[in-house]
Amino acid sequence: MKNLTSLITGFTKFALKPFNTRFKQLFENDPSIDRGYQVDITCVNEGGLAPMEATMELEIINHDIDNMVFGDSTVLSGKELAIDHDGLKEYLLEDRRLQDIDIQIAKPGESCRIGVVFDIIEPRAKEAGSGSDFPGLLGPFAVAGQGSTHVLRGSAVTVIDPSAVPGITSKVLEMQGEPASASPYGNLHHLVLSPKVLDDSPRHVVQNVLRMLSVKAAVYLGNAAQGKKSDQVEIYSQNENDNESREGIPRIAYIAQIHGHQMTVEEDEPILYGSNTEGMMPILLNPNEILDGALVASYWVMRVETYFYQNHPLIKELLSRHQSKEITFTGVIATVAASKETDRNRNCMLAASMAKSTLKADGVVLTKYGGGAPHVDMGETARLCEAMGMPTVVQVSDSSGDRKAESAMLFNYPEVDAVVYGGGGDTGWDVGTPERVIAGTPGVAKTLKDMKYIEGAALCGITNQQGASKIRATVY
Amino acid sequence: MGLPINKEHLKLGLRYIENKDFIYNLKVVRRTDMRVVHYLNQFFGGIGGEEFASTGVSSQEGAIGPGRLLQQLIDGESEVVNTIICGDNYAAENLDEITDFVVNSVREAKADLFVAGPCFEAGRYGVAAGAICAAVSAQVGIPVVTAMAEENPGVDLFRQEIYIIDSGANVGAMSEVLEKMAKILNKLKNHQEIGHPEEEGYIAQGIVRDEILEENAATRILDMIIAKTAGKSYKSELTQTAFEPIPAPPAVSDLTNATIAVVTDGGLVPKGNPDNMPPIAAEIWGSYDIASLDDLQSGDYDVQHRGYDNRHVLDDPDRLVPVDVLRELEEAGAIGKVYEEFLSTSGLANPIANSRRLGQEMAKKLKSAGVDAVILTST
Repeated sequence: MKNLTSLITGFTKFALKPFNTRFKQLFENDPSIDRGYQVDITCVNEGGLAPMEATMELEIINHDIDNMVFGDSTVLSGKELAIDHDGLKEYLLEDRRLQDIDIQIAKPGESCRIGVVFDIIEPRAKEAGSGSDFPGLLGPFAVAGQGSTHVLRGSAVTVIDPSAVPGITSKVLEMQGEPASASPYGNLHHLVLSPKVLDDSPRHVVQNVLRMLSVKAAVYLGNAAQGKKSDQVEIYSQNENDNESREGIPRIAYIAQIHGHQMTVEEDEPILYGSNTEGMMPILLNPNEILDGALVASYWVMRVETYFYQNHPLIKELLSRHQSKEITFTGVIATVAASKETDRNRNCMLAASMAKSTLKADGVVLTKYGGGAPHVDMGETARLCEAMGMPTVVQVSDSSGDRKAESAMLFNYPEVDAVVYGGGGDTGWDVGTPERVIAGTPGVAKTLKDMKYIEGAALCGITNQQGASKIRATVY
Repeated sequence: MGLPINKEHLKLGLRYIENKDFIYNLKVVRRTDMRVVHYLNQFFGGIGGEEFASTGVSSQEGAIGPGRLLQQLIDGESEVVNTIICGDNYAAENLDEITDFVVNSVREAKADLFVAGPCFEAGRYGVAAGAICAAVSAQVGIPVVTAMAEENPGVDLFRQEIYIIDSGANVGAMSEVLEKMAKILNKLKNHQEIGHPEEEGYIAQGIVRDEILEENAATRILDMIIAKTAGKSYKSELTQTAFEPIPAPPAVSDLTNATIAVVTDGGLVPKGNPDNMPPIAAEIWGSYDIASLDDLQSGDYDVQHRGYDNRHVLDDPDRLVPVDVLRELEEAGAIGKVYEEFLSTSGLANPIANSRRLGQEMAKKLKSAGVDAVILTST
């Protein structure tokens, strides 16, 4: 590590183009550097940061995909996406931490089971010159949520975790039958990437490799739509905020946990604009930023994939109710669930006060990340909001192992009395043996193949905690 | 099975008497002719008011008071064969005796169904009715139902175990309450699914079930916040369970003579996990010897808990079970003695009922071992 630090310090002194290539060469020439600390540097701002546009307006150009095939080159023709298998493979293998990568296509309705999923991303690319792809993580820093973004709607890049342990069934994708129809991912065309990382790589390096190749592949595919027109265009803009005609319409803020520090974040774990959120305090985001690549799922995830951020159901609902003037959506306060009491108190206090004083919210909606403990941060923030005169609604996940309502809640504030209750604990489907299994190892493939029943919580997309889930836990 | 059969059906059935399936059905239906046992307090049993509250338990053949209407409301040829009456005070003071008496009567009467009340707001009556229904359900295994107002103390005690119809406080609603009781009994005896508490009129048992809706959570969140900010009514999908407050114990008056134990729900176990502690919702706890240790060593312990990043604990188990610091305090005379074992379980996603039992068992052990105070470390 010492070597690397001095190397970077020394290196910044002669930062010349092409930065990326030179950095890689230095690694190649210095065998003393622990391979585990190699970083795939992609985010480089040349000539300094670009100023933000005058208005925050995002144009989403949707291109519907109804077929995905391998072809000689990566081309979007009509609704068919042809992918240059070898070209993509070569591009991804530029990351020298990768040994090999298997690339397959899985289609809706196919007898195919996939797992254990690291992440699912919607293929997207910024229209050339109108912004940066996954800024701070892949592309150079630029405020996300402006300009034009091409979206290959109906498709996904799905990355398999090669370190998954056989015997545990979680984060599975089923392409056929009832579980497929119940999941928002069941009707997508998936480009499934199953990478093999260099032997003995530390876990965080494996995860960083997966993260980088997931966004690279998503943009690689998205670029097939460069310059193409579509009649499926959505405009996301909130400039009506300044409009006087919004008087009397309740101002609603969204306090969103984007990570939970139940698990320690890794140094090289990019979450928000490439930041690993360590030490993060609540910050204000324009909802467009989340929809447009500022945010990806962390390494340790529960019930969320980056695809959900790109199509954030709660943000889209808030924007739609803003449009219909039922509410004025004042913005997103991104926060993290803490692992220390002082961090928790600081974050809760700042998030609530920001909603009150900066956003002047009349009401606040809150969602949480991860497992049980982050409920406490959300509950405390909601309690503070209520005490400051801002009514709240929170979405909780069912935490009752015994299916008893008394075990369901992890906070107990009488003021926090409007709860949307996400379920999943007793939803599941009987499944047969699929014809094809895509997994990271033969052991995991066998586990997936032998599954007789799939729990809702083990299936990607079913028990999402950010507004997508249609399963409600109901108290009888 | 399950369809009410009347005389027209029987006539029709004669034509198909050769059909064995039908004969089978016929037998089943004959057996479901319902024998009901009914429990009432002294007031509804017609003995008298509060001045008769100490009246002991007695049993009479046939229906009395509300039982007369009840037997008409239950499907099929049902009959209250036995009514048991007891004064509220007597029942409150002799609950075990009354419960045994009723269970025996129900068995002797070969009852198919058991009903207690309705009790409305009468607290002693409600508690007795709940306890008796729960006992009959558990010991005899037949459908039971009672009815109370939500404020009745019997509700919190027994709502999880039995169906309690929400009777409200108004005794004038007797016939509507009996209708709801009969309706739920009919469903129970026919093994039909019991619907949502609001549809069926019972007080929620606090059991969580999944439902798949048309609208996603985002839509529901927005509908709710719009209603709430406008001051309009909204319905939370989960209401908080009220818990008894647990008073803090008195401070330890003399720490220098106190024996201190460490209890953790962070799942620390000796290497190899000798008790097979599960890493989630553990139903067991372990106690592990630290009598000769001044410092817990990395490598000697495992963590059975999936809900937190346990690397720091694996690096130094004293971060979860601080034996090192306790020994220093012991040495310095700040505390009397460190108890010879630490107690550990995995608190992750552990249901309340289970946690309560684990806590009680641990407390019992430590109390009997003469421990004066406990340091609880949670993760």
